[in-house]
Amino acid sequence: MLKVENLSISFRTDEGLITPVQDIAFEVQPGRTLGIVGESGSGKSISTKALMQLLPGNGIISSEAKILYTDKSGKTRDINRLGKKGRAIRHIRGGEIGMIFQEPMASFSPVYTIGNQMVEAIRLHRNVGRKDARRIAVEMLDKVGISNPEARVDQYPHEMSGGMRQRAMIALALSAGPALLIADEPTTALDVTIQAQVLELMRNLQRDLSMGMIFITHDLGVISHIADDVAVMYLGTIVERGPTDKVIHEPAHPYTQGLIKALPSVDRLHDRLTPIPGDIPSPNDRPTGCPFHTRCTKVIAGLCDQHQPQILQVGEDHTVRCFLHEKQQRASA
Amino acid sequence: MADITDTCASMVTSTKGKKESAKEHKKRLKYYSASQWTLIWWRFRRHRAAMVAAAVLIFMALLGIFAEFVAPYGPTSRDTKYLDGAPQVPLFCDQNGCSWRPFVHGVSTKRDPVTLRAISVPDPEKRVYLTFFAQGEKTELLGFIPSKTHFFLLDDKRAKLHLWGTDDLGRDVFSRTIYATRTSLSIGVIGVLISFVLALIIGGVAGYAGGWVDNIIQRVTEVIRVVPIIPLYMGLAAAMPKEWSTTEVYFAMTLILGFFGWPTLARRIRSQLLSIRSEDYVVAARLAGARPLRIISQHMLPSFTSFIIVDLVISFPYMILSETALSFVGLGLRPPTVSWGVLLQQAQSVRVIEQTPWLFIPAIFVVLAVLAFTVVGDGLRDAADPYSDAR
Amino acid sequence: MLRFTLERLVGMIVTMVLVSMMVFLIMEIPPGDYADRYAFRKYSGTGIAITEADIEAIRHDFGLDKPMALRYVDWIGNIVLHGDFGQAFAFETDVTKVIGDKVWLTMAILFGTLLLTYLIAIPIGIYAAVRRASFADYGLTIFSYLGLALPNFLLALILLYFVNLWFGADIGGLFSTGMSDAPWSFAKAWDLIKHLWLPAFVLAWSAVAYQIQTIRATMSDELNKLSVTAARARGVPETKLLIKYPARLAINPVVSTIGFDVNRIFSELPIVAVVLGLTELGELLLNAYLDLDMYVAGAILLMLTFVIVLMNFISDLLLAWLDPRIKLGSN
Ligand SMILES: Nc1ncnc2c1ncn2[C@@H]1O[C@H](COP(=O)(O)OP(=O)(O)O)[C@@H](O)[C@H]1O
Ligand SMILES: [Mg+2]
Repeated sequence: MLKVENLSISFRTDEGLITPVQDIAFEVQPGRTLGIVGESGSGKSISTKALMQLLPGNGIISSEAKILYTDKSGKTRDINRLGKKGRAIRHIRGGEIGMIFQEPMASFSPVYTIGNQMVEAIRLHRNVGRKDARRIAVEMLDKVGISNPEARVDQYPHEMSGGMRQRAMIALALSAGPALLIADEPTTALDVTIQAQVLELMRNLQRDLSMGMIFITHDLGVISHIADDVAVMYLGTIVERGPTDKVIHEPAHPYTQGLIKALPSVDRLHDRLTPIPGDIPSPNDRPTGCPFHTRCTKVIAGLCDQHQPQILQVGEDHTVRCFLHEKQQRASA
Repeated sequence: MADITDTCASMVTSTKGKKESAKEHKKRLKYYSASQWTLIWWRFRRHRAAMVAAAVLIFMALLGIFAEFVAPYGPTSRDTKYLDGAPQVPLFCDQNGCSWRPFVHGVSTKRDPVTLRAISVPDPEKRVYLTFFAQGEKTELLGFIPSKTHFFLLDDKRAKLHLWGTDDLGRDVFSRTIYATRTSLSIGVIGVLISFVLALIIGGVAGYAGGWVDNIIQRVTEVIRVVPIIPLYMGLAAAMPKEWSTTEVYFAMTLILGFFGWPTLARRIRSQLLSIRSEDYVVAARLAGARPLRIISQHMLPSFTSFIIVDLVISFPYMILSETALSFVGLGLRPPTVSWGVLLQQAQSVRVIEQTPWLFIPAIFVVLAVLAFTVVGDGLRDAADPYSDAR
Repeated sequence: MLRFTLERLVGMIVTMVLVSMMVFLIMEIPPGDYADRYAFRKYSGTGIAITEADIEAIRHDFGLDKPMALRYVDWIGNIVLHGDFGQAFAFETDVTKVIGDKVWLTMAILFGTLLLTYLIAIPIGIYAAVRRASFADYGLTIFSYLGLALPNFLLALILLYFVNLWFGADIGGLFSTGMSDAPWSFAKAWDLIKHLWLPAFVLAWSAVAYQIQTIRATMSDELNKLSVTAARARGVPETKLLIKYPARLAINPVVSTIGFDVNRIFSELPIVAVVLGLTELGELLLNAYLDLDMYVAGAILLMLTFVIVLMNFISDLLLAWLDPRIKLGSN
């Protein structure tokens, strides 16, 4: 339902043009969840904002990028051609693609009730009156597990707890009936126990409503719970992409391997965690060649620091951007 | 110096993995080890508007300080031959040719054919030349050094040069404006200093003591903040006895202005003190038995001096505007003292603007000074706290 | 909400009591007292010689020989209980008579000015924030510096000059000639409105400059909030989005500084009144000060401050109504 190709994102800044996302491509199938995982600053948020033309004024999407979206009626359009304003993009925002953000408090306006903001969204995308919109809002709040929704609908965001707010935010995003839901680290700001509940809720909702979903996180552990496919991002490029099982059990990129080693797990409880050495470089100062070569333990001098690796197929639907595999493939050919 | 700041700034923002030369390394060390004040100064210098404004202020201050030298005549000297006279522009050329020395045309007195009053008309045939560093009226430089030297005068001692014209009594507007600059700026300085001392005491006590003392002080502050300030000043100024000398009035005015200028700054000091009162180093000093005054002055104040300075600079315009407004309506300084407000008192009506617009020149000084103080204040604030406003 | 209102009300009363004390002090400061000035005014030039005893008698008549604290209680008691502000000697009548309908004229000027200020400043401030770093934005920044630097009595003079130049005379004052003493009628009210715009514009000048900067700053902050992006991500049309989300919040600091604006307007009123020839409380206050007619001056100072305190109170209530988070804080 969504197919992204050649997406690069740049920003005009005081220090000149920076390009924190370079040439990424991914795909979301209807009814399936794509997980995007990467350290903070790797460009996950801006990549998904670009999908809805929500970049700030100084952001530019490369002109050769294609964001092909097939809507509920089966029509396919390139969102990159729609521009930032106008009816067409507004129809997609909220009505076709819903979005949930990391900070549940900040994503609500503090001066309107939850109900007010939900009714607004519902009436923008569904042809219903005020009364019906309110009924839908209450139903939606009920569906996301908020008790006493008739009363809650008239509350202000600051009158709710963090977990409740995030549930309300999910209800708000879903109330307009989107076919694709983008969730940008929806559980990061929550307590661990509530995190699990919200995660569970989102998985169930996605299955019940048979939506497509893009789930962003910096936590590979979460991905294995929720995503069917996964894209691993590092410094603005997708270094590995494939079905979640494959990527987790047979990681092909040294970065993914590092992430998995850094993951705590029950059967390795007594081993020390091995974090990836070094710091993530600044996006205004990207290393030449493979962006990961400065921290890679298997770096090939003279190659990785000079040339950008190409996307390689390493399994069915499993691709990687790494010279190690190029060598292997050449050797086996 | 400028290149140091620039290179350092670029070094901080871009962490290019290039090898830096020994010289650059030294510069960088200098940047990292620079004191807070040096950093503020470096940042302030890059604020071009603020630098220009600071230059304007310094220039004005110099004019005021050396008024006796800059002004050709005393503030109350009269030129009865040139009443309500228009500004005289020094020329280099006229219909009789050019000269290297600037000159003005002489003035001859004629009788108005209708009213028979004596009027002065310029005589284009008569040239009077300007001389610089000339000897003229006796004055006392800075108030105590006897001197006769003036920056410029006419070489014909009987004629007078009125760069910005004269008022109805034939007093030189240029000279008066220069003297007024001294009065108005100094009133601002003293007023700000008084309110600074008061703010320090009041805010310091409130912030250090907290509790009910703070509560009472807050109430009083609130009262002063709600009463409209100019009517309040006017009430106090009106109470000055008519028979007071100009000096007494001058000091009373500075007291009045300073006396109500403290609430904003006191509030700032109080809240800063309250917030750092519980910080470790202050608590440690208190536990070690340091006396309150010592704790405030040694430990608490230095940590926000830069804010205080910014607030002080920003409060100047209010002082200057208040003094101008009060004197303008006759409730502030009184003639023969000259201040911008006293001078503008002569320009209260539209008729004056039509007939003798040059009496309005002091207004330009007021606007310029207020503008300059505001811009310098903004520049200082940005320099002291670069993150205050992500402009 | 009730509790919040009561709290503010009590605070307001306490402030007013303290203000009245300060005003009374100011009335007491000028050398000599009311009896001296009364005697001087009444008998100077009449040839009648007055003695200390005469003055002492006057003093006793007016109750001026009582201690200061008692005199304060008398003064404020009469004001609160009987609406009696004491005697004005300039016209030898009650202060209330002297003040007359000037209170309403002053209120007309005040609300005219406030209305004009917000009508100009709010849209422009929002526009400057939305078009940040554009040509218009820089222009407005320069304007607001000028607005703060040009004292409004100078502005008034300049405007008077140009208005005279372009439209001819009769523009100062609050009424056309002949109208000011006429009984109130529709025609008179309309005449007032026609004359109001100039003082309103002059008095609004610096408030506009100040408010534009505040609104621009808050609006810029609000525009960068996640809630705005979130609303945009729900497909809210851009104009509605700007008004409903950031602009709605950018109004808050304006509301919270209403009292401050009123204070500024009253502060500048006497001076502007001199230049524009307005016959309202500011001008009366100035003349009362010049004549040391301290009961009149005290009454006006008290009234002006009361309006400011009242507007502060209203602004607190408005703010609590506008911003649901505030009620939470007070409970
Ligand atoms: N408005 C902006 N202007 C300039 N650069 C930006 C802006 N927004 C994001 N970036 C750049 O994009 C990078 C990636 O940001 P983001 O997508 O938020 O990362 P993530 O969501 O993976 O943590 C940031 O590190 C920053 O350098
Ligand atoms: Mg992010």
